[in-house]
Amino acid sequence: MKVVKKIALVLLIVFVGIQFIPTSRNQSDVVPATDFMMVNKVPKPITNKLQTSCYDCHSNNTQYPWYNKIQPVAWLLEDHIKEGKAELNFNEWDDLSNRRKNSKLKSIISQIEDDEMPLSSYTLIHRDAIFSDTEKQEIIKWMTQLKDSL
Amino acid sequence: MKHLKVSTVILAMAFIGLTTISCKDAKKESTNEDGHQMEASHDNSNDHQDEGSVSDTSEVEANADNTQKNTATTPIIDAYIQIKNALTTDSKDEAAKGGTALVAAFSEFDMSNLTGETHKEYMEIVESAKEHAEHIVKSPIDHQREHFEVLSTDINDLVALLGTEKTLYQDFCPMASNGKGAIWLSEVEEIKNPYMGSKMSTCGSIQKQIN
Repeated sequence: MKVVKKIALVLLIVFVGIQFIPTSRNQSDVVPATDFMMVNKVPKPITNKLQTSCYDCHSNNTQYPWYNKIQPVAWLLEDHIKEGKAELNFNEWDDLSNRRKNSKLKSIISQIEDDEMPLSSYTLIHRDAIFSDTEKQEIIKWMTQLKDSL
Repeated sequence: MKHLKVSTVILAMAFIGLTTISCKDAKKESTNEDGHQMEASHDNSNDHQDEGSVSDTSEVEANADNTQKNTATTPIIDAYIQIKNALTTDSKDEAAKGGTALVAAFSEFDMSNLTGETHKEYMEIVESAKEHAEHIVKSPIDHQREHFEVLSTDINDLVALLGTEKTLYQDFCPMASNGKGAIWLSEVEEIKNPYMGSKMSTCGSIQKQIN
């Protein structure tokens, strides 16, 4: 019994301790001129869908959930966002050459098509981020048009 | 007295901060230098390699799509071919190795001779191709093939831009990319399809011969 108590105490201390380790937060008020929505004529429903389903991890501004300040959740989120932005940052869309825009669009289309994005760990909590079949078709059709127009 | 203490602490922190920043810079510079050195030494070894193999093709064949006889692109094309051959035999691990080799080939490529538009285009191609190579290193095979589609376009454009001393075949598979079709480059005339793998190895046709 004593041992269990000790372990619990240690875990508690660790848990409290890691709360003091700072994480960087992905937040910004400015939408740069290179943003995907600024350089493309994106229809309203698609804008909204991209904002709710993609921008949390693929832009410079995350709408954080309430639990984001609790470790180790904060680390997990930080990691996902870092990886997501490295892969694709909608805010920096126009910095890409046409060649890379083309290849990014191809990846966007195939990831949505195969239900690989948004991540299931994300949609578990963000139920509104899930693409319905109609939404999927709509966005794929629009992204394909954009890709062909490049 | 207290004020003095506080200000010394602040000063100390600022000092530490500055020194760590400058340390970082110094490190960066040294790696850059290393990078350059590597490029230089690699070039030499390339030149040696090529002396033997180039001479027989350069004068004799003057047909169809001839490119500039460029030996500098050889390590890049070799790494690409390595990925291609791995995909024809459905080997994810070998393809990943080829991806690593391709990333290395790009960083060792000496682009000091490229100027103006050519340099700009080269940079665009490399940025894209490198990204696909990196994904090929860490992805499952169906993703490797998706990245290989775009990578093939990139490498094809690179060959058109800079040339090669190799004889290559531009092949086309109408079934790849969900029926939209996709090209690949091959060093052999025989069709070995990297998109379909061993399932439909002979699917596809030669569109064009390079050199």
